[in-house]
Amino acid sequence: MLLDIVIIVLRETLEASVLIGVLLSVSRHTDINLLWIFPAMILGTAAALFYALSLGEISEWFDYAGQEVINAGMQYIIYALLGCIVCLLFSLDKQKRKYLKGLMVASVAMAMVREGSELFVFYTAFLSQPGSALQAATSGFIGLSVGVSAGVIGYYALVTQKPPTAKAFQAFLLVLILTGMAMQATQLLIQVDWITVNEPVWDTSWLVAEPSATGQVLYAVFGYEATPSLIEIILYFISMAMILGPVMLLNFFTKNRNNEVKP
Amino acid sequence: MTRLFGIMVLTTFFTCMPVLADTPEFTLTIKDHLFYPSELRVPANQKVRLLIINEDPTPEEFESYELNREKVILGGRRTVIFVGPLRTGEYSFFGEFNMSTAQGILIAE
Repeated sequence: MLLDIVIIVLRETLEASVLIGVLLSVSRHTDINLLWIFPAMILGTAAALFYALSLGEISEWFDYAGQEVINAGMQYIIYALLGCIVCLLFSLDKQKRKYLKGLMVASVAMAMVREGSELFVFYTAFLSQPGSALQAATSGFIGLSVGVSAGVIGYYALVTQKPPTAKAFQAFLLVLILTGMAMQATQLLIQVDWITVNEPVWDTSWLVAEPSATGQVLYAVFGYEATPSLIEIILYFISMAMILGPVMLLNFFTKNRNNEVKP
Repeated sequence: MTRLFGIMVLTTFFTCMPVLADTPEFTLTIKDHLFYPSELRVPANQKVRLLIINEDPTPEEFESYELNREKVILGGRRTVIFVGPLRTGEYSFFGEFNMSTAQGILIAE
């Protein structure tokens, strides 16, 4: 049971941890005070607790599809917020970067709601068993530590790079993460039949099986799916193109303007 | 970009209408951190509706890597998920909050 708790806590914290690591490195390179993380985490924890307490009622909405619909909605909002952050990184107007902090607070808080509420639900169940509090606390702490380490490694790997290289990696990772958010939203809507699917197009479980450690990390961070259906693949690339399109245009205009400025 | 995002959400919702008719329903019950039945047989190549009833007072998370499904069911509540169309074969599922006991197989035939 000890290992189970470690894995559960790790899975629930990994996604938010990696996202926080990348966003903090963005703050560092854009001279934004890193302290925004505290209100974001307080807000996220409070919202997760409220969501966990309302989960029973929400689950029964839309003929038992409430949980998926609300979660998918949140994932799409995070997708849009992260998309705005990536676009701002390439924006010509440096003044607009003042919006970055607000966008980062909102995206981190929201990313904590779904997984955080699942942890609250899990812990309320586990703590109801007699004599298990210490075991739950220590195992949970190990899982949390491993999850947080992934974010810390990501943060230092990015902040030690030179700004242009770091910006490219930050944008690359954020695009993969936000596309993963859209992918997870699609999977949730498939689960309740709001999106109808046919048979899988391919099966890459021989390469990376979803239950494996690599599969788990890839799922949590990038929405990896070993057996995707056609609509999932199409929506994945549409959601990626919707962010990459504006980013490439912004990058193109920035380079053009820089060339014009030079004699 | 906001407009594009709106279009994506609307397209997703309106082109993918829920199809409720003619979808066979199967029931899974969670009791004492076990699934009943632990082997559930469903038709292959067809979408099925799974009604999951949690008779335990504690919450459980239905999870399956092979089926790509994950859902929290609070104690004393019920929920619905759709699976398939599935190719013939066996697909394992488990209760994430009680992995040592809550294990089951869905057999598509």
